Formats: sequence, C-alpha cells, structure tokens
Amino acid sequence: MPTTKVKRKFGLLVSNIILIFASLSILLPILWVIRTSLANRLIAYKIPPVWVFKPTFDNYLTIFDKYPFQDYFMNSLIISASASIVALIIGSLAAYSIARFRTGDPWLRLSMLSTQMLPPIALVIPIFLIMNVIKLWDTLPGLILAYLSFNLPYTVWILISFFQSIPVEIEEAAMIEGCSRTQALWKVIVPVALPGLLSAGVFNFILNWNEFLFALILTGRNTRTLPVAIASLWTQQGVNIGAVSAATVVTILPVIVLTYVIQKSLVRNLTFGSIK
Amino acid sequence: MANNIFFNSLPSHDRKTAKRLVSPAFIGIWVVVLFPLLYALYVSVHDWILSQGGIGPFNFSNYPDVLKDPLLINSAKNTVLLTASVVVLEICVGFGLALLLHNKQIKLRNVYLFILLIPMLMPPITVGLIWRLLLHPDLGIINYMLSLVGLPQPTWLASPVLAFFTIIIVDVWHETAFIILVLLAGLTSLPDEIFEVAMIDGANAWQKFLYITVPLMTPTILVATIIRMISALKTYDLVYILTRGGPGISTETISYYIYKVFFVALDIGKSSAMAFILLIVIILMTLVLMRVMNRVEQ
Repeated sequence: MPTTKVKRKFGLLVSNIILIFASLSILLPILWVIRTSLANRLIAYKIPPVWVFKPTFDNYLTIFDKYPFQDYFMNSLIISASASIVALIIGSLAAYSIARFRTGDPWLRLSMLSTQMLPPIALVIPIFLIMNVIKLWDTLPGLILAYLSFNLPYTVWILISFFQSIPVEIEEAAMIEGCSRTQALWKVIVPVALPGLLSAGVFNFILNWNEFLFALILTGRNTRTLPVAIASLWTQQGVNIGAVSAATVVTILPVIVLTYVIQKSLVRNLTFGSIK
Repeated sequence: MANNIFFNSLPSHDRKTAKRLVSPAFIGIWVVVLFPLLYALYVSVHDWILSQGGIGPFNFSNYPDVLKDPLLINSAKNTVLLTASVVVLEICVGFGLALLLHNKQIKLRNVYLFILLIPMLMPPITVGLIWRLLLHPDLGIINYMLSLVGLPQPTWLASPVLAFFTIIIVDVWHETAFIILVLLAGLTSLPDEIFEVAMIDGANAWQKFLYITVPLMTPTILVATIIRMISALKTYDLVYILTRGGPGISTETISYYIYKVFFVALDIGKSSAMAFILLIVIILMTLVLMRVMNRVEQ
C-alpha cells in the first residue's frame, strides 16, 4: 500500500524536524556563549552581531588574571571531591550493612530517602548559625560537612540496592575459603560493586559542583565556589559579557565530561533507584 | 528496630558488625542533618532577630504569624503556579520527545538524545546566566533576532508576567532532559511482545499508544512527576540569578522569600518557622513518592 508508506515517510520527516528543532534550541544557546567567550570586548557587545571574527582567549585570561578563578575552581574541586569521597566511604559501609543485615529496617532505609529530599533552605539556616559559633563559616571543612547532609543519605540510599543485587553466595563462598567478613567485603564485594560506587561518587561530585544555596550562605571571601563566583560576576561593574561567558564555559565543561562518563547509570541515580 | 525479625534472627556477632558498619553514617546524619534540624525547630519557636542580638524568649506564635504573612502567601502562590506550569510542560514536552526518540527508524536518535540531555546536569546558575545573556534587552541575541523579523523586543525580566514566563521557559529548557531520560528508559523497558500481539490483533498506532503505552507508562510518569514536583517546590537558584524575585515580589518563590527573611531581614525565628512549614510539605510529598515507588517495584 503506497499510502501507508508515504504516511510513514511523512511521519519520519516530521519526527526528524521536531527533533532537529529541539536539539537546536539546546545547542544554539550554548554555542552562542562559547562564541561570546572567544570574542574580544568590542565584538562581544556588538549588535547586530559580528558572525566571523578571529577568536581570542583574552576573556579566559581575564577571569584567571583579574579575578582569582583558579582559586574558585580549586575551592569547588576540593569541596566537591572531599564531600563525595567521605560520603562514599561512610555511606557504602552503612549501605552494605542495611542491604545484608537489614539493619534498622525499614526506618533507617526510608529516613535516607526523606533526608535527601529536605529543602536546602531549611538546613542551611541552622547550619549557618552553628558554623558561626564553632568558627567553621567560610572554611573548606565547613562546606564539606554541609554537603555531606545530602551526599551521605543519597549515597546510602542508592548503594543499598547495589549491594542487594550482589548475591550473598559469593561472599559466603569467600568466607568458607577462610576470609573474614571484612576481608570478604574488601576482596569480593568492593570489586563487584565498584561501578556502582564510582557512579554514586561522580554523581555526588556533580551535585556538589552545581550546588549554589549552601555555598552562597556558607562561604565568604576565602572559600567561594564557582557558582557563587560567577553569580557575583554579573553584578560587578556592569556586565563584562565576555568574562561571564568564559567563566560559564569553565564551570560547565567538567560537568558535561562527567555526565558523559556516568551516562549509563544516570536514570538510576536521578530517580533514586526507582527506575533502572 | 523492634519488629525487624530478620535482623533479630542474626547471630549476635553479625548484629554487632552490622551496627558497627552503620554507625559512622548514623552519627554523620545526626551531626549534619538531624541536629541542625532540631536546632532549627528550637529556633523557630523563639523570637530572634539577628540585628537585635541573641536569641529571645519562647514564642510559638511564629507559626501562626508566618502563615498569615501576605508575602509568604504570595511566594507560596508563585511556587505552586511555577511548579504546576513547569511540571506539566516538562512532562508533555519530555514524553513527546521520548516517544520520538524511541522510534528505532530515526537514524540519528543517539545524536539527538545526547544533545537533548546536555542541559540536565548543568549548574542552574550557569543556565540562568546563559539565558540572561541571550535575553539581555540591548546586548542579547534574541531581541536582535526578534527585531529582524519585525516582532516587538520585550525587556524580558522587567515586567512581572514576562519575568515569570521567562523563568518557566528557562526551567523547561533546563529540566526537560530529566523527563526525557527517565521516560525513555521506561519506554525501552516495555515488553515488545504486547505490541506484537496488538499488531496481530489489528490495532493501529494510536490504539497501541492509548491502550498499551500510556497505561504501562503511568507508574514511570508518576515517579518522574513527583520527583520533579518535589524539586520544583524548592526552586531557588534560577530565581536568584534571573530575577532576584522581582520585579517587586512577582517571582519570589518560597525558598527565595525564606532566604530574604533570613539574610536581609535577619529574622532567624520567623525564617526558621517558614522553613519548617516547607519541610513538612516536602516530607508529605516524599511519603507519597515512597508509596508510588513501592508500587512500581511490585
């Protein structure tokens, strides 16, 4: 039947057009910011825009030269990585215990889910007050501790199902061979669970890297992270479009790379394990 | 732990190991979550304005007071309107795109998918900044494009309605990727056999969609909707970077208003009370989410 064939071809064409349109609506804004980050001051401000110009890295030099963006970058990196690693170590032990022994079931397990849903504004106010008293405000350990408030419950929650999916038998076999439980955990379970551990860690890292409200309230001159720094860049002395664009690119790039690394486990990560 | 039969049936050394493994995380959660929350609860029933010194007398009326606060009600209305708009739009757009991407005859589907997922894990602050650049009334490319085709060039963030609309659009740009990813995973896991049987029975595409895809996808859509609702109710970053709640108070969300009461008015007592009310709403929604997740697993 030629009509159904024509119909199907037409359907495919429409689908492709919609998808191209959707893809362009995502790509063009990002490309435009990359383009602006490579333009000099004169070209960046020009409307109607100059389409062809010689790219320059001046804006990137500016943010590392005039503003200490390498410091912000390092703050973001240290805080995001530390919180995610600490959460991974402590959290995986707890998740293993809950998965194998059903420790505190179901309350402990369920409290992990509800804890990570808490509105950050409700947590950041008391944490700010406490950190002022114990002198952790505007310190790296302060923000790392604060980030544990969502990294830790998330890690425990997501890893419980990972450990549950590893059959008890391999662990028991190792213990019959003469391993202690701790040895069995390190030599058998951890290697098998490694992909899950890594994806949970990377996902936490991304959440920390993107986090804004905690960082806005709990950091000052010494520990400002990238999101806080670029947010303040907008208001300083009018808008230096080129510098804002360069800073945006620097902030986004690591996230896009990491997202690509853990893309296979993203659905599980994002839906708290409810959809695999 | 009283009715945990499995745990209690374990040999005592296993129980000891189990508790030892859990304890660091347990202590951690107490230190960074539960203790601060209890402190916030304590503060929320006291008068405390930071600029006037230390914590004041017990005052439970913070709760009835903030519930009568017209500014909190304004921000609650904004938050509900924002949440409803973005969730409905993102589910519709996201489901539509997921259905298109599910069609194996589309050769470039992996390329499209990769591009469409890019915004998902971008920092919200950078998303807001990108759109501020694009929508800048004088220097932005969007108004220039509009001028080329002879359309009016609005100052996007200057009028209440347009500013609200802009936040919705930017949020959809940012978060639809999450819906696409989750619903596409759901579509991929649907069993092929049902569709084959339906085809043999002579069902057309529309019937297959309505009587097979939609009912089978409902739990997944429900999970995605609730997760998005919970996160949308907490919207803060986009408002901060795009409008700071303005013009006036027209785009203030609950989180943003609490932040203002806390950081600008320095009213610790009232802001904590408001934060607790928001927290209770979110916990109730999380309970709903848990029930739905349980059903999905069964």
